[in-house]
Order: sequence, then structure tokens, then C-alpha cells
Amino acid sequence: MAKDKKKTSSKVSRRQFVGGAAGAVAASSVVGFPAIVSAADPIRAIGLGVSIINEIQSRAAKDIGFGIRGQALGYGALFGKTLNQNDQYEVSECYFDMFDAMVPSKVFQPIDTKRIRDWDKVSNLVKTGKLTPGSQIGQGDAPVTKLWVDKDGNPTDGPSQYISAVPAAHNADSLGYNPDDTGRAIESWAELYSPDFKGKVALINVPQVGVMDAAMGMEALGLAKFGDKGDMTRAEIDTLIEFLIVKKKEGHFRAFWETFGQSVNLMVSGEVALQSMWSPAVTAVNAEGVKCVYASPKEGMRGWHGALAISAKASGKKLDQAYEYINWWLDGWAGAFVARQGYYFSTPANTKKHLPKADWDFWYEGKPAAMELNDPFGSPLVEKGAVRDGGSYEQRFKNIAVWNSIMKENDYLVKRWTEFLGS
Amino acid sequence: MTEAGQTHHPGLIGEQPVPDESAVREKIIRPVEGFATGWLIAPAAIWLFLILIVPLAAIIVFSFFESTAHGMVFDLTVHSYAEFFLTEGFFDSESNSFLKISVFIKTLGSTIYFTLLTMLFCLIVGYPIAYFLAMQVQEFKWQLALFLLCMVPFWTSYLIRAVAWLPMLGRRGLINQALLGMGIVDKPVSFLFYSEFGYMLALVQIYVVLGIGPIFFSLAKIDKAILEAAIDMGATPFQIFREIIGPMSLPGVAIGMIFIFVMIMGEFATAVVVYGGKTSTTGTVILNYYGIANYPFAAVNALMLMVAMIIGIVIILRVVDIRKEL
Amino acid sequence: MARWTPERKRKLRVKSGFSLYYIVFLIFIYGPMIAMFILSFQGRRGGTSFPMRGWSLHWWKKLFEPSLVGDMQGAMGRSIILAIMVMIVIALFSTMLAMAFRKKFRFSNVLFYTILAGLMVPGVLLSLGLAMVLRQLGISPSWYTSAFAVHVVWALPFGFLVMMAVFNRFDSSLEEAARDMGASEWVVFKEVTLPLITPGIVAAGLFGFTLSYDEFARTTLLSGEFNTLPLDINASMTQRIRPTLFALGTVSTLFSLVMIGLFLGIYTILYRRSH
Repeated sequence: MAKDKKKTSSKVSRRQFVGGAAGAVAASSVVGFPAIVSAADPIRAIGLGVSIINEIQSRAAKDIGFGIRGQALGYGALFGKTLNQNDQYEVSECYFDMFDAMVPSKVFQPIDTKRIRDWDKVSNLVKTGKLTPGSQIGQGDAPVTKLWVDKDGNPTDGPSQYISAVPAAHNADSLGYNPDDTGRAIESWAELYSPDFKGKVALINVPQVGVMDAAMGMEALGLAKFGDKGDMTRAEIDTLIEFLIVKKKEGHFRAFWETFGQSVNLMVSGEVALQSMWSPAVTAVNAEGVKCVYASPKEGMRGWHGALAISAKASGKKLDQAYEYINWWLDGWAGAFVARQGYYFSTPANTKKHLPKADWDFWYEGKPAAMELNDPFGSPLVEKGAVRDGGSYEQRFKNIAVWNSIMKENDYLVKRWTEFLGS
Repeated sequence: MTEAGQTHHPGLIGEQPVPDESAVREKIIRPVEGFATGWLIAPAAIWLFLILIVPLAAIIVFSFFESTAHGMVFDLTVHSYAEFFLTEGFFDSESNSFLKISVFIKTLGSTIYFTLLTMLFCLIVGYPIAYFLAMQVQEFKWQLALFLLCMVPFWTSYLIRAVAWLPMLGRRGLINQALLGMGIVDKPVSFLFYSEFGYMLALVQIYVVLGIGPIFFSLAKIDKAILEAAIDMGATPFQIFREIIGPMSLPGVAIGMIFIFVMIMGEFATAVVVYGGKTSTTGTVILNYYGIANYPFAAVNALMLMVAMIIGIVIILRVVDIRKEL
Repeated sequence: MARWTPERKRKLRVKSGFSLYYIVFLIFIYGPMIAMFILSFQGRRGGTSFPMRGWSLHWWKKLFEPSLVGDMQGAMGRSIILAIMVMIVIALFSTMLAMAFRKKFRFSNVLFYTILAGLMVPGVLLSLGLAMVLRQLGISPSWYTSAFAVHVVWALPFGFLVMMAVFNRFDSSLEEAARDMGASEWVVFKEVTLPLITPGIVAAGLFGFTLSYDEFARTTLLSGEFNTLPLDINASMTQRIRPTLFALGTVSTLFSLVMIGLFLGIYTILYRRSH
């Protein structure tokens, strides 16, 4: 099944199969029953709960003069809807690691960089893959490899006038730990398998992501060497899964989590000492009064990058509005908003303009908080004097070991992961 | 025995004389008059055809498609079926035998095993509750109230309850706090949660009420006068159960077990939340492949799950013909 | 006055034994709800798991303010409307189908198993299958059309089996007597059948309400551009989970208890009227 993936381009694409009939009803504004949102003729945006936030959409509506109807979804629902129902949104606030599915199926339309007002200000992290000239690109689906397309939406080798989607929020993930439980600082992915933490370790249960964390740990231990952790071979997957099965049978893992909230609760409730974790989740644990440190392993972190994509079905006025909405996202206010949740945004210079100095220093520069900082909803989040683990923005993104990816051997991976969980 | 008359309660459909044997037979042989069957079934039949049969047919068709990284393409193939049933390498050196069972069949097997085990526990836990409601509570109004009280947790959003499991069973959860407080343990126990034990416990807790309802329903049908008569004739409680109560509650048990069976076979959320994702069920496999847009393979897993369910239900219906005995 | 015969004592012992078991059972199934209830009064800085960081009504207040992510109140409104729509259709269809099954008819077996099949098709796949079919036809899914349709398919077997059970215990001699007195089919139904089966219809409808209100998998690709409550809650979990969720859970539990009270009241009235 998996090995046939490369054949796809020669065959009829799924989009052709599912037919163009849907186009007829596309963008026609289907009125909600009852019409909950009254804003005149809104455009529709879908995304995770981290970006479809009422305050963001209502601010956007105020700034750009037309309504945005956001639909917040879970990760699985976002993937399914973005891929299968591009007549249900104008803008999808999705992720570059989904693009192995989205770009070939042409659910998006290529975005003309000439229509992106602040395109010059978008950082080089995605344009060239290197935030600073000395950075490493990292293994896996680095966003730079998914960004550039031609006028018809086919991937190109280098820069072009068109892009698959506009780079948006992003971050680098690693391990989170409770220093009281671990008794020492965690400085390497190898600690994931340390017998000291037996029964108090959790991994993320998204096979594509969890497998990378697991591989980072195995590599750090010197037990295996992976050619590309974002695109493993079957033999590499076998090696890794067999190792994981042994560990699981020893009772090494406490749990496998699937959502942000779950990972926070695992740490707050003392179920685990050490786990794969997202940086904002670590901040959330701290906000709940439980010690939690975000490790910056010497092997580097695992990065991910959000994207703002426009549906292939958007046209006319809706298309203009979609561009307008994306331009608004890059303008800085939204970037500042997500910064205070712990995410970075692709136009740091604009973000800086909208972020108070104390917040900017803490979130981007890695300096101690000059005062108590709130989350964007006004709840206290960071105590005075606290320092963001993992250092400054630059330090983090100079050292991305691997990007979230969908492997060519994805089917095989999921099969072995199923076996691992069931063992 | 003035009590016997009072305890014969009306049940859900009001008090009526018990139909005698001949009337029942007559009902079956000679169709009663009434609304035309066609009109009664047409709306639901059309609905089911459009919303169930057509999509189901689509799923079957999808299962023969070829999967690509970005969805599926039309390409009549049994690839996904082969993937489900066969494992590469016909010789398994580990167990020194031919034809290793594929991981998906194993997963389906363990799903069935867990389901059967949970059904058994639900029956053991739930039957006495249904018996209590039907036999010990006298007034129908209170039977219903106490039954609905069992339903309340079922009415609170599953996703919200899922979040509440951790503070209940976790290391710092209520149970551990109680155990510590009573001095039963001196440090928190961890086997309650993210364990097979916790998983079972949660499944029973969530679904037991689906079994209680139907069992209660058929127990309530039993005429208490018969029981009184049996007691007067000196029958032991065990004999009464074996001869009267047991057989008469069988249809309820069958329906309850069908409800629980289909619910747990398709279950995925509890495995993730309470077992910490430390197991694979066919439900989670379907979801995982759905998540990576391998729809043909998700469809094959779903169809195999359905086949297992149909076999299960047919077996249950073979044991008890609920259409006749309900 | 009743005397305390050994027989009476034994019965009482059995009864109190069962009552005790029932109470233990209630505590068992209400377990997570107790944790939920306590944690909904979590302090301002606390989260959805222990330890408590003080006590407050903060999260209860948040429940009535516009939500941060998604649109909890709107989603709840949609979910309730949807559940009521499903409830009505289930009550109607279950009754009609069960009435049809009182007689023998061709393909009744096929129909019987088709109804049960609604239980067996895994939710995500049914959702995907229908979404693909709708795309082919150029129909946009929405919560009040496609999600509604699928919810009915899901809840119908439950309601149908309830009504089957009701009619299997039904004594048709009352109806026949009415017919013999020259009443029309409609009058027979309205005056004789309906009052007797009303509690069953209510039970079937309640099944519909419950199953629709909580359904997630079948709604994912079919709710269209607006979320139902389970979708909204699912989306909120991509964020920090706040105790507001537990306040919401507590509210719906209390709501259920009130509904039970209402149901009992309605039942009592209907029961009196039918006698």
C-alpha cells in the first residue's frame, strides 16, 4: 500500500474523483439556522482552538470591515475538513506537515506573494529554511520544502512568485519535566528512556510525531542512527518500534496523550515526571502552580509550523477578503496575541510593535519577566522573574533537529505503531 | 395477601389484563387491522436507505480503492484487504510457525475479548440493580425515578466526563486521597488509572446502564402473583430464579447485551483517555488511518468490525428471538 | 398492625441489602461527576485536576460569558435544538415502525436488520461515507440536515427496540373492541392506542435526545460550518482545559435531574388521565 505512493501523480487524483459538482454550491453563503452570527457576509476560517479564538476574529472584523466566522476544530477534524471539504471554508489555519496530503490534492489555491503586503517582513525560517544564516534546516518536512509552488500549485524547487500557504504561528517542541520528580535537569532526549523515570514517562500519541520524539531519544542513547527521522525507512521503523515494545512491556510508559489539555493534566496531577510536551503546555502547567521545566536538549528540538491557506474554491470577493484576512494576520496584532500563548509568529518585527516590552523580552528574547505577565485572556500566566526555558527565539530555531512530518512510509508506521500500543 | 394486588404494578404501558395464549396466537396468524404498513414504514425506510445504505455502499466501494498520501483514487484493488489479513514474511521465526496473524486481526481479536469481558462484568454488576428496581421497589413511579437516576451520568457530555476521570482515579485523585486518608495505603497507588483495571472499570461504569434498562424492562413484565404462588408452593429463591425470573428476563438481557456489545466494539475514546492510549482497539485503528487519510484501509477495518458485530448480534438473536419474546 | 414475622424480617433484610447495593452502585457510576463537581469550584489559578488551588465561583461566572475558543453557548443551543429534532423524529419513527411490525409483512426481516445496522456502522466511517456522497451530489452538509439525518439513523434502533417491547406487551383486544364499536382507525389510535403507549414513546424520544446530544464521531464531517457542543468541546481541548468545562458538566447534570423531575410529573399526569 505504502510503496505505491509515488505513483500518485500519474493517476487520477482524488479531487478529480470526487468531482466538480461541489463547485456549484461552493462559496454560496449557507445561512446558519438559526443565524448565530449576524455579521454581514462573513468569510469562513477553520483551525484549531489555538488560533480560532473569538477575540482574534472579532478584532479582525473590526480592523478590516467584514466578518470572519471561525470554526474551531480538533486536530483530526481540522485535517479531515481541510482535505475533504474545501467548500466549507475560505481560509484554513492549518500546518505545513499536513501539506503532503493537501498540496497534491490541490485543495488550496496557490497564493500570490505579490498580494501579501508584508511578504518582505516574513522571516526567513520558512523562505530559506534558515532563520539566521548559520542555522541548520533540520530533517523531515521542513516548511521551506512545502512552501514554494508554481502558478498551478505544483511544488517547485526554489523560490517562486507563488506559495502554497502563508507561514503563520510556529514553535519548537521538546520534553517537559517536573524538576522535583526527576531530581535533575534534563538536557538530552536520551532521558526519555532513563530507568530512573520508569512508569512516569508519557509520549504523544500521534504516530507521526511520537515516533520522532522516540527516535530522538534512541539516537541520543547511541542505540540507533536514523538517516532522516522525518522520513524513515521500514527497517528504521522496525528497529525503533521493537525497542519501544520492549520498553512498554517493562512498564516504562505511564500514558500516551493526544491533546494539549491532556498533556497539561498529566503533569499537573503528578502522573508523569517527564513527557513529550509543547512549550505553551509547559507554561500552562506553571500557571496552575506546578513546577514544570521545558527542556532544551543538546540534540535540538522538534519544530512545527502553522500556515494560512486559501481554499481552491474561494473566488471573487471572497478571495479578496481571504487575502485581506491573511494580511491582517501578518500585521502584528494577532502575532502578539498568540505570542502571549507561547507561540511565535512569522512576522516578528510586526509582532514586536504590538507587544509590550516586558512581554517581548520574555517570549522572544528569553529574558526574565520584568513583571507578572498575563495570558491573552487576562489570566495570570507568568510570575515576575521567571525565564522562558529553551532560550530566545533565535536560539530555539537555529537548532531544529527535525520538523513534524508525514513520512513516505506513513502507512507502515501507523501499522507498527498500532502494534506497539497493542503490545 | 392484600399486598400481592398492590405490587402488581402497571409497567410502562399502563395496567392491562394479561393476554391469553389464544389471543396471542390469533394476533400472529390473523393480522390485526390498523394503519397501512406501507405508510408506516415508508418514511423510516427511505431515510435509512439514503442515510445508511447509500453511505454504507460507498464505504464498501472505498474499501476497494487505492490509497495515496492525499486520499484515495479509483483503482479496483484488494490491496487493503490483503494488508488487513496478511503479514509479510510467511514464516515467523519467533514462534517458529507459518503464517503469523496480522496485527489488525490481533487487534480485532483483543477488541472482541475486551468487549466480552466487559459485557460479563456489566451483567454481573447491572443485573442486581435491574432486579432491585423491578422486584424490590414497589411503585412504578419510583422505579422509573431510580432508573433515570442511573441514566444521569450518561447524559453528561462524554468528553467532559473523560476529563474528570483523571481527578477521580489518578495518583492525586479522589480515590487515592480517600485511601490515604483512611490509612489503607501509605503512598498513592497507580494501578487505578492508565491500566487495564481502570479501563475495565470505566467501560463498565459508562455502559452498564444500557444493560440495566432492558433487563429491568423484562423483569417488570413478570407477574408478581406467579412469584408469590411459587413461594407458597415452597420453591427456594434459587429455583424461582432458575425457573421463572431467569428465563423471563432473557430477552432483556439479550437486548442489553446487544447495546453494550455494539457500543464497546466501536469504542475508542475510553482507550485513549482512561487507558492512556496503551492499547489498540479496532476503533482506534480506524481513527488512526482516517487521520492519515488512508480511507480505504479505515473502511476495511470498519467493515471487518461490522462483520464481527453482525456475527455477535446474530449469535445473541439465535439464543433469544427478541422479536418474539420482547 | 403488621407483625414482625420471620418472613417479613427476611424480606426486609433482602430489601435493605439491595438498597445498599444500589447506593454503592450510584456512587460508583457518579464517581467522575463528584470530581467534576468539586473541581468546578477550583480557584482562579487552578486547573482541571487536583490539587485545588483555593475555592471560587470564577469558572461558574465564565460559563455565562462568551467563551474564549469557539462559541460554547451557540454550540449548546444548536446541540439542544438538534437533540430535540432527533427526539421528535425518533419518537415518531419508532412508533410507526413498531406499529408496522405488529403485522407480518414482506421483507420485514430485511427492514429489521437494516434498522439494527444503524448501530453497527462505525461512526467516523458513516460520517465520511455520507460526506463523500453529499460532495458528489453537490450538497453542503450542515448540522440541521446531514448531521441530523445521521443522528436519527444512530438513535433509531434504540427507540425502535423500546417500542417493539411496548407493543409486544400490548393487548390489542381493547383496540378491537373499539373497532367493533365502529371507531375509525385514527380514532382507535388516538383514543385507545396512544394513551397506552405514550410512556414508551417518551422513553424512545429520550433515547434520541441523549444519543444525539452527546454524539461526536458521526458529526465531525457532517456538521457543516457550525459546531455542535461535542465538536466545540473537542476543539477547546487543543487549548488549556479550563474548569469552565466542569461547571458546564455540572450544569448539565443538574439539568438532567430537573428533567427527571419533569418527566415524573408528566408521567404522573398521563398515567392518571389514562385511567
